[in-house]
Amino acid sequence: MVLPKRRSSYPTPPDPAGGPGDELVRSGRSRVVAVTGAASFLGSNLVGVLEEDPEIARIVAIDIRPPATAGRKTRYYEVDFTQPTAEARLSEILAAEKVSTLAHLGFLSAPTHAVALAHELESVGTRHVMVAARHARVRKIVCWSQTMLYGADPSNPNFLSESHPLRAPESEPFFADKIAAEREALRFAERVPGAVVTILRTAPLLGPTVSNVVTRYLAHRVVPTMMGFDPLVQFLHEVDGIAAFKLAIDRDVPGTFNVVADGVLPLSTVIKLAGRIATPIPHPIAETLTSVLWLAQLADAPATFLRYLRFLCVADGAKARERMGFVPAYTTREAVLDFTNAQRLRDVRLLQETTV
Amino acid sequence: MTAAVRAVAKRDAHEETTPMSVAPPTEAPATEPLPPSPPSEPPLSQANTVVAGRAVHEEIRQLEAELDRMIDEASRRDVSTLLGDDEDDAPRPRPSGPIVEPRRPAEPTSEPTVFETARELLTTDFYLRKWGRLAMRNRSEEVDDFGHDPTYEARVRPLLDFLYHTYFRVECTGIEHVPAAGRCLLVANHSGTVPLDGLMLRTAIRREQESARDLRWLSEDFIYHFPFVGSIVNRLGAVRACPENAERLLGKEALVAVFPEGVKGIGKLFRERYRLQRFGRGGFIRLCLRTSTPIVPVAIVGAEETHPLLFRIEHLVKAVGLPYVPVTPTFPLLGPLGLVPAPTKWRIAFGEPLDLRGYGPEAADDELLVSRLAERVRATIQGMLDRTLGERKSVFFG
Repeated sequence: MVLPKRRSSYPTPPDPAGGPGDELVRSGRSRVVAVTGAASFLGSNLVGVLEEDPEIARIVAIDIRPPATAGRKTRYYEVDFTQPTAEARLSEILAAEKVSTLAHLGFLSAPTHAVALAHELESVGTRHVMVAARHARVRKIVCWSQTMLYGADPSNPNFLSESHPLRAPESEPFFADKIAAEREALRFAERVPGAVVTILRTAPLLGPTVSNVVTRYLAHRVVPTMMGFDPLVQFLHEVDGIAAFKLAIDRDVPGTFNVVADGVLPLSTVIKLAGRIATPIPHPIAETLTSVLWLAQLADAPATFLRYLRFLCVADGAKARERMGFVPAYTTREAVLDFTNAQRLRDVRLLQETTV
Repeated sequence: MTAAVRAVAKRDAHEETTPMSVAPPTEAPATEPLPPSPPSEPPLSQANTVVAGRAVHEEIRQLEAELDRMIDEASRRDVSTLLGDDEDDAPRPRPSGPIVEPRRPAEPTSEPTVFETARELLTTDFYLRKWGRLAMRNRSEEVDDFGHDPTYEARVRPLLDFLYHTYFRVECTGIEHVPAAGRCLLVANHSGTVPLDGLMLRTAIRREQESARDLRWLSEDFIYHFPFVGSIVNRLGAVRACPENAERLLGKEALVAVFPEGVKGIGKLFRERYRLQRFGRGGFIRLCLRTSTPIVPVAIVGAEETHPLLFRIEHLVKAVGLPYVPVTPTFPLLGPLGLVPAPTKWRIAFGEPLDLRGYGPEAADDELLVSRLAERVRATIQGMLDRTLGERKSVFFG
């Protein structure tokens, strides 16, 4: 996958009082960036983008599989976050490589039945990462989060700001672990003075190559919807997602940011644009059915995800635009169309699943 | 069917969903009357060229007519062998499209046989393609931030116009008080068990105001808990009522309507009609002070009699999210038919704008001032209601 080099197209944001970030950016050539979850979609693409950046001296890729995009500058370390020794090992690696920036992307992109493993990886794993980073004196952390964590609710305002509480149902481990992980990152920011912690809450990623719970939902020919409900939805094109992480690594912008595409679309329009057939199901029936199918391992997601087919969960990207200078290249509609174009080829098996 | 063919078929299906982008450019030049002199001609012998040009054009037209006739004939002969679907598409001499393609009717081999047509009809792809053509027929591909869908509204507009013009016979007074541009907040009384006042207010602004502004009204939360209602009014311009949404709309210099009585307003019993309830906690005043927005008071008369509410059943329904179940002379009795509003005569009166800019944005924290201003707006609207009611002689004939 070819990513456009978009760095030059961003306007320079107003410098926040010439903070400690400046020297980091200027001390360029010796920068070492560590990426956890380096074999994931975001991780491997980010490694690829960082490989091409002359200002990055070395990339430390951390995962249980080597990233396919690894090049000359990348050093791969196999660390399993679910092991109790992960913390010590990670701390050693970060210290030895003199890592200055850590991008924490080691999260699952879709709900899993292996709840205990997911908890170890995401919630406890993030704690390992944060403790190790504190020991190794990593000063900057960029952490992945999602706007889904705000939770879909009829009482949500149409555009959720970053200060809105995360109200996704904590009974669902997929959300609870990620909310806990975000809390860990914030605790790191509190405990380490002068640390730069950037949390990027991305809208659901959509695009030609990414695979997650949303793309699986839209990959069905017949797509279930909730009868009588048609919420506005919002996506983020995968390229914009990668660009946002690159931008957060290049610039020092502490804080939490919604990273979203411009524009919203009703879910029914998304399904129509994707060339799918929507089948409305009354939601009480759909919830029971999905619970059963999820138990039987036949559904893509548990019943808690059905709320996102009924109610609003759309975030406001104004803060990222103003403070970070992040300008998405694709609107929600363009992201849907781009996904659709690739999905058509997958439908007729002209395009095989790419393994990145 | 091979993979490549299916890919092409799918692409066709997608293109069909946006037919306007393909068809007109090829057709338009042929039907338009051509200009008398082509611009490329030198102006020396103008008269000559005009005459010659006309002759040439006459000839071209004749040839075109001849050609059209031939294509028409040919396509009609083709279509008669098909199974009669796409009838309306067929006679048009369109260069694109699958019907016109076999241009040689003399060769019987190129004609699709019944067997082939049947086979096409039996594939799922055929129906998927048909579905794809119909999918976006009443939807815009893009909606605004709050989900207003202009294409959908255009389809519903005849019904709204009927309700506005024929059914409720709405009369507007003081429409000139609504500013032609810039942010503005309309504050109105709320009524009707099935609140149609937001929709009618929007229709009134669209039809009566000279710049036909796009009014967005803020609607109660509870309709978004419910299937169908929330998504439909959302497409027609309703926005969920919350301070964040209102501030965002006013920040875009929009015209916004609020009903500060909220659920208490639509739940007024028949004997309480036209008696304004408490105006929330004055949130709309705080909003206007913060954003220095002028307020236009609006009195809607007639809407409160559309569903004369006798009782509210409040105990069992909170669990499903409804604030109450209305009991009207017709509602549970006649089933869903009982929800048809009574054809009352409506009057909408717009009052003089109230400018709050003098107080400054910091006045929003002054609780006393906020409640005083809210009371003032309430009293203004109550006065307008009383005056309009005094002029009214009959509920149904105005």
